Amino acid sequence: MTPVIEINQLTFTYQGEQNAALSQVDLRLYPGEFITITGPSGCGKSTLAMCLAGFIPTAFPGEMMGEVLIQGHDTRKYPEGGLSGIVGLVQQDPEGQLCTLTVADEVAFGPENLCVPPEEIRSRVITSLEAVDGMHLFHRQVHTLSGGEKQRVAIASVLAMKPALLILDEPTANLDPRCTREVLQVLAKLQREQAVSLVIIEHRLEQVLPWTDRLIRMDQGRIASSIDRAVMLQGGLEAASQTSYVPEAFESCDQSRHSKASDEEVSVAEQALLSVEHLQAGYEDRVVLSDVSFQLSPGETVALMGDNGSGKTTLILSLLGIIKPSGGKIWFQQEEMTGKKVAYRARHMGLVFQNPHHQLFENSVWREALLPASFLSETSSDAVEEITGNLLEDFHLIQYREKNPFTLSLGEKKRLALVSVLAYGPSLLILDEPLVGQDRERMLTLMNVLQYHRRQGGSVLMVCHEPAVVETFCQRILFVKDGSIAIDAPTAEAFQMLKAQGHHEYLPACGHVQIGEEGGD
Amino acid sequence: MKAACSPKSKTSSPISKGFFPGLSYVEGTSSLHRVHPGVKLMLLISFSICAMLVTSVAGGMLLLVILISAYGAAGLGWDFFIRKLRWILLFGLMMLLAQVLWVRTGVLLWHFQGSFFSFEVWSEGLLGGLAMVFRFINVIGSSYLFVAITNPNQLAYTLMQAGLPYRAGFMLITALRFIPLFHLELNQIKNAQMAKGIDLEGLSPAKLVRSIRYLLVPLVISVLGRVDTLTVSMEIRAFGLTDHREYRETLLMSKAEKRGMAVIPLVFGIIWAALR
Repeated sequence: MTPVIEINQLTFTYQGEQNAALSQVDLRLYPGEFITITGPSGCGKSTLAMCLAGFIPTAFPGEMMGEVLIQGHDTRKYPEGGLSGIVGLVQQDPEGQLCTLTVADEVAFGPENLCVPPEEIRSRVITSLEAVDGMHLFHRQVHTLSGGEKQRVAIASVLAMKPALLILDEPTANLDPRCTREVLQVLAKLQREQAVSLVIIEHRLEQVLPWTDRLIRMDQGRIASSIDRAVMLQGGLEAASQTSYVPEAFESCDQSRHSKASDEEVSVAEQALLSVEHLQAGYEDRVVLSDVSFQLSPGETVALMGDNGSGKTTLILSLLGIIKPSGGKIWFQQEEMTGKKVAYRARHMGLVFQNPHHQLFENSVWREALLPASFLSETSSDAVEEITGNLLEDFHLIQYREKNPFTLSLGEKKRLALVSVLAYGPSLLILDEPLVGQDRERMLTLMNVLQYHRRQGGSVLMVCHEPAVVETFCQRILFVKDGSIAIDAPTAEAFQMLKAQGHHEYLPACGHVQIGEEGGD
Repeated sequence: MKAACSPKSKTSSPISKGFFPGLSYVEGTSSLHRVHPGVKLMLLISFSICAMLVTSVAGGMLLLVILISAYGAAGLGWDFFIRKLRWILLFGLMMLLAQVLWVRTGVLLWHFQGSFFSFEVWSEGLLGGLAMVFRFINVIGSSYLFVAITNPNQLAYTLMQAGLPYRAGFMLITALRFIPLFHLELNQIKNAQMAKGIDLEGLSPAKLVRSIRYLLVPLVISVLGRVDTLTVSMEIRAFGLTDHREYRETLLMSKAEKRGMAVIPLVFGIIWAALR
């Protein structure tokens, strides 16, 4: 059988860089095969995807050695745009990759560009939407779609080109568990019914592995291991956990996960650090949060879970006062915060957003790390600089001290945003999806720092959609549903309640890799 | 912040809220909504040229009556007209006042002599001012109506199918797709910078300068990131591969609409000839 992809001794170095992003990569992918590529941040996964899609070396200049053959032809010998219709690429950002205003136009966009006759275009639009179970979206405006629906439309839009190969670069990174399940079910259906060859790049393996024929782990630009399905069936969890967020990955990290910080570690009053009473907030005439009440104690790490759009973001913005609540009260260390300015609250509550691009501003990593402290810290600048230096070392960022933060990888930017908040020492850390874009090693570093923070008497409120991480690190779960706290309970009990309410995608059981002969569903 | 699983509204800044009335397509099922975008474009061009050329008050008033009737026919009504054009109407009133106060030719219509000042209204000041105001309101008001009743997507596809280079057409479509997204992004950046302790609350010249300083860089970086994603997404789907492209649907004109394309300029030509 002729492979769809044949990569021979591929080495690629970006222009202006010393080290090769890819080094002597060999890979074959056969029709209908589903491979998952994983590995630490910066290991070359996305570069490999760009090679497969033909954007390297044309759009991203650099030195390329070896060859990438798609359907037997070298990608460098295809005419410009010649890989369109053979290779489809779905990117991480569900918002930025859709370019038209309606779903039907979006799916038709590719065939229209290929000058396919209108009759055939209409037929392909229907077939592609059916393939992703998206016919009900046909007349919808793109901006009204959910994240999961947008990714399904993105997949349909490349399927309409009838590609032999579909590459998906972290397609679920920005999605909540429910939307993630939607997208992965679509991929499983494609594999089952259309025999499209699939290459998926993913950090979060738990839900992908059941359908994977081959798991490829990359490290420092090389293929470090390639595990076939048969081996996964034998090795199961053990094989996969080398790269995954599954609980075994945390064994060395935290042994006191279900207890608050001990008395020796911290002397704190029993009263709540944060207390929210009957909070109500929204936008203009729309109420998003209604009657939200909860407390956070010193030394607690609490997971904030819930579907996208359920009100989690509104809640954390309301705590900081960025959104002005229309009702209720917020107390911090027994001081009423309702009505206080954002800059005042931010001294006590450090918020790290999911998208680090929104928070970065300065022209060097060092200055960026110090910026919030210059507004918010009450300690001397020397002390802040010492703390910041230590944090940059802990987070493996010190070598980039003078580098422009915008040139860092996504994971590095997220760590820098966290360092800049930790540097001024707020008691409460509010983190929005801190694990997105982080590999296992970086994630462990992050969690260790958070554990240290809570042992010092600080608390962490963390939006997190990784059940395995929540089970391991969090003492309590707040589950937000339709703008209210549906569940506020200790972790184990909360998982039971989530199970009883049918939110299976939020359960750590989903995090265990269970590979059956038929694959998951 | 992350991509929402359900559409999210955003925090609106006090500047954008209410100061610039939203200029956007209003979905509807009126007969005007259903007319082919090309015909509506012809109506707008003919009406606007006529409004610019007509210098009489009567002509301007007639065109305004036609315009308000069109708002009614589109199901938007008087309230919508006043709400959307309130700043335009206010500006028009100021233009009228300026004309009345400073133009002193023609026939003296009214003279007021107070203890400290005198005030005169001359015919050319009043009539010239009224004509100018009608022209202003007619041109702006018709543009507002066109935007409110024309699906921008259909308009872009119509123009491309009529011969506009498709690369230019997609500039319009991607702008329509991304402008609201960038507005949302700006709000998110503002939230993120405020969370870092940068005081952007309230309105003052100093805070405006601070806002620009701290918001602009992340916004530009963010926009460039989106552009990269979009470029890859469009190129992998063969955008720009050929000079020509096909369309899933062609927006065809009915016979009546084709006739309308010829009749509309004629009608407004007659109005201009009769009332100039």
